[in-house]
Amino acid sequence: MKNQINIRHFFLVLLSVFCITTSFAQKKKKDKVRLKAQYVKIMDGEIYFDISAGARVNRKNIDVANIDLTIFNKINGKKVKFGKTTTNMHGKSKFILKSLSKIEADSTNTYNFVISFKGNESFKKASKSISFKDANIEAKLVTKDSINYITATLIDKEKNSPISDVILTTQIQRLFKPLKIGDEFNNTDKNGTISVLIEEGIPGVDGNLAIEVVLIDSDVYGTVKAIVNAPIGKPIVDESTFDQRTMWSPRNKTPLFLLIFPNLLIISVWGLIIYLILNLVKLKKS
Amino acid sequence: MKNNNTDSRRKFLDKGLKFGLITAISGIGLTKLASKLSAQTAKNSDDKMELMTTDGTIIQVDSSEVMEMDLPSKEAPLNHDIREGIPNRKFVMVVDLAKCKNALKCQTACNKHHYITGDNAWLKVYKMQESKETAPYWMPTTCQHCDQPACVTVCPVDATFKRRDGLVLIDNTRCIGCRFCMAACPYSTRVFNWGEPNQDEVTLNMDAVNHQHEMSSPEHAGIPSIKGTVDKCDFCPHSIQNGELPHCVTACPNGVFYFGDKYEDTVTNGEETLRFSKLLKDKAGYRIMEGLGTEPSVYYLPPVDRLVNFEDGLEQYNEFQSVEKPE
Amino acid sequence: MKNYDKLLNDLAPKKFGKRGVLWTSFLIIIIIIGLIAYIDQLIKGQEVTNMRDYALWGIYISNFVFFVATSFVGSVTVAILRLTNNSWRTPLVRIAEIISLAAIVMAGITIMIDMARPDRLLNLFIHARLQSPITWDVIIIPTYIVLSFLLLYFPLLPDLAILKKYFKEKSPTLSKWYGIFSLNWTGSKAQKIIQEKSIKIIALMIIPVGIILQTIDAWLFSTTYRIGWDSTNFAPYFISGAFVAGVGALITVIYIVRRVKKLENYITDFHFDKLGKLLTLACLIYLYFNINEYLIPAFTAKKGEMVHLDTLFTGHYAPLFWFVTIGGLIFPIIALLFKKGRKPLPMFFIGLIVVIASWWKRYVIVTPTLLHPFLPIQGVPESWHHYFPSLHEWLITIATLAMALLIITILVRYLPIIPIQRTADEQELLKNNKNTKS
Repeated sequence: MKNQINIRHFFLVLLSVFCITTSFAQKKKKDKVRLKAQYVKIMDGEIYFDISAGARVNRKNIDVANIDLTIFNKINGKKVKFGKTTTNMHGKSKFILKSLSKIEADSTNTYNFVISFKGNESFKKASKSISFKDANIEAKLVTKDSINYITATLIDKEKNSPISDVILTTQIQRLFKPLKIGDEFNNTDKNGTISVLIEEGIPGVDGNLAIEVVLIDSDVYGTVKAIVNAPIGKPIVDESTFDQRTMWSPRNKTPLFLLIFPNLLIISVWGLIIYLILNLVKLKKS
Repeated sequence: MKNNNTDSRRKFLDKGLKFGLITAISGIGLTKLASKLSAQTAKNSDDKMELMTTDGTIIQVDSSEVMEMDLPSKEAPLNHDIREGIPNRKFVMVVDLAKCKNALKCQTACNKHHYITGDNAWLKVYKMQESKETAPYWMPTTCQHCDQPACVTVCPVDATFKRRDGLVLIDNTRCIGCRFCMAACPYSTRVFNWGEPNQDEVTLNMDAVNHQHEMSSPEHAGIPSIKGTVDKCDFCPHSIQNGELPHCVTACPNGVFYFGDKYEDTVTNGEETLRFSKLLKDKAGYRIMEGLGTEPSVYYLPPVDRLVNFEDGLEQYNEFQSVEKPE
Repeated sequence: MKNYDKLLNDLAPKKFGKRGVLWTSFLIIIIIIGLIAYIDQLIKGQEVTNMRDYALWGIYISNFVFFVATSFVGSVTVAILRLTNNSWRTPLVRIAEIISLAAIVMAGITIMIDMARPDRLLNLFIHARLQSPITWDVIIIPTYIVLSFLLLYFPLLPDLAILKKYFKEKSPTLSKWYGIFSLNWTGSKAQKIIQEKSIKIIALMIIPVGIILQTIDAWLFSTTYRIGWDSTNFAPYFISGAFVAGVGALITVIYIVRRVKKLENYITDFHFDKLGKLLTLACLIYLYFNINEYLIPAFTAKKGEMVHLDTLFTGHYAPLFWFVTIGGLIFPIIALLFKKGRKPLPMFFIGLIVVIASWWKRYVIVTPTLLHPFLPIQGVPESWHHYFPSLHEWLITIATLAMALLIITILVRYLPIIPIQRTADEQELLKNNKNTKS
């Protein structure tokens, strides 16, 4: 009896020692990954998840690059593997959904997804769920009394009904960030419609403007964007002096004055110098 | 006697001629030799290597532990001529002096992303006060990318050039180090690599590969910097190519820098996106030393209705340092 | 003929005495030390100098400007005096030509020392932009080197032929070399015609080319915005400054050569008197341009200008500025107004001061302007607010000065510094005149 207790004691002590030492040996504590995902639908364009993986390491926010993520479609409580992707060196990934028609929604017409990371030696596992309903924005350019407007209607696709009192942002595509036009808060009316005046004289390449109407980060519908190409902008004129002959041009565009006058001087002076050197030769021969 | 004189004269002549010949030949070979030597001394490494970590600090690592990585490049390929520039763009910057409180985050970011190892930063925040009675203010200055650049006009070898998209860049594989551009620039914005820049090679190589260009592209100044050539702010075309704002613009916590395309009439500081012409009109934008006729691409908004006190910036002000050095 | 033999003996090049060998060795040692310093600069980069981002040009450039200025003496003495029929110039022209050639060759070398990437020298030709003042400099300096050389060489031909005969027994190899370089000069009518025509052309050409050289040198500075450089006055200011520096150098070298070679009979007090008057004229013109350059901006007292003028008149560079202005300009004018001041020995000292002041004057032109740019000097180490050349810069600069002196020494050693043929011709003419008169 005593022996058994002793052996159990011994094993307990051994086990606890083992556990303590291994916990001490585990110098590397895994960091937590924060997954962020946004569902984006571009009308007549791509539908995708904008995923980014970040972590707080040593009190600094870093991007978690090159980790594998698996995307699951949650149907009837079961996770079905839908696809996978890897974050790039900035910790971002764009996962494209081919079309929503092939995906199953739940009873409330909501599509459910889970993006999960199964962890690696540096990071713990993490997951993020996304849910969204399908919505459409129909936008078009309207000209009334030679004033241009963008009208857009936000429609819930399944119910085929307009969504009212929701903020739609209207903006012009620009190089870095888009330029907002219209009022600051533009709510859809009872028909789910907004109408935004486009001011005159917004410049665009060849007069073309790409105008976006966006439902930004809705809890229910995600981000939906409609793009209208409108040739109503002011055409861009190249004002640079790059093609002209200027003092700061490269040498193939030297100002004519500098090309002609100094070269004339050089040719005449060096012509005379060559004549003089030839004289030396002539002198030697005579 | 006469023969002795002749002999000694002959000897002197002989020696003189030989000496002259040797000097001439060695003179011709000297520069080539010295430039080869200088290339070698850079590689004359000890066992330890200096590396710059991703947050900008410099550490020492055993050379044997360092291997070169071959990272695949995932950025957009170059689709324009480097000397002509990105089509249909004219880049401008607007600096809102009312918001600047000398946080110097812009300078730190610029120093880090261009691997600046010298004593003179490319972006400097000047403590300005025109006269005793007028208000002091902080003025961040980058290269002004002038439309009538004095520096480009005086360069004898076309090493610095003005592009169609407004940027003034430097080809540091062609620069001969005459420093005439530095003498010509009225904004004192150019810096010179008087000695070896001592940037870490591996980090630079990784950066070059990641941004898909050879080392020494004018579009990514400082990758690498070359001894005996000029450097300056490049408006970060390597970032613009990827649709990102220059590093100083994104680094500023106070939204001081606005950057954009004048043809699109839009500038943004990352948070606010505004019509460029309207911004200048509403806030009375101006340019530094307008009277010189350089036509800079950087506009300033006067420090009115200041959000922060000028004195708050004095804490960060270091009159004698603009680049942080490792301990 | 006895006169002629005496002439030949006096003027022919003689072997180096002990002094000559000592002097040449001294120069060669300095040059070698400078060469070592330069190699160090090539290896480490220009951080071995004290130039930094604000004082971005230093004594390499001011030394270069000094050499360019001194090389103007060829244009002045040979061409201008010739075209104004000042026949007293004959014993002086060869030395002037030698100084000119040495100075412009050293200018070409000195500017390459300032290039931080001399291995890319060819870029200046392959990628040259005509819009840049440096390209104009790259064109004009070789042009002036060739012209200076031709200006020295054409009149030298008869003398080389004379020396070939003179040394035939004494030193056959030397005689052979003189023969080769004399290009078979026989004094024939055909040769004389070619020679005289050529000299006339060179003399005519070298004046505008010399003036263009000084002008382009000035434009290296006045094509920038910088206060102290952005002056419409700069080109004529530099031309007159070159006039002063050139004549000053001429006087100094002539005095020494005259003593060493015992040429007191050929270069007489009369010549020094004339040179003294020429130098006074040069200094007066230069003083006029100095007044325009330094006094007039004080009238409107623009802030930028006053920062510059204050540092020169009463500030950090005041001692230097007043030394070069009073010592190098006003004092010579006053001293040379007296006949006693135009005697050889006083002239030598005046010439020496003028040369030294000319060198430091270019330093005063280059450095102070760079240290007060438009935007305040901030964000750089405290040492960058000042500039004084480093040991490397001094060693290299002194070596270039030594090399110029070495070129002059070697040319003076082997060439007759007073044109033999011409002096003989002139003396014949004088003798004939005396004969006919009596």
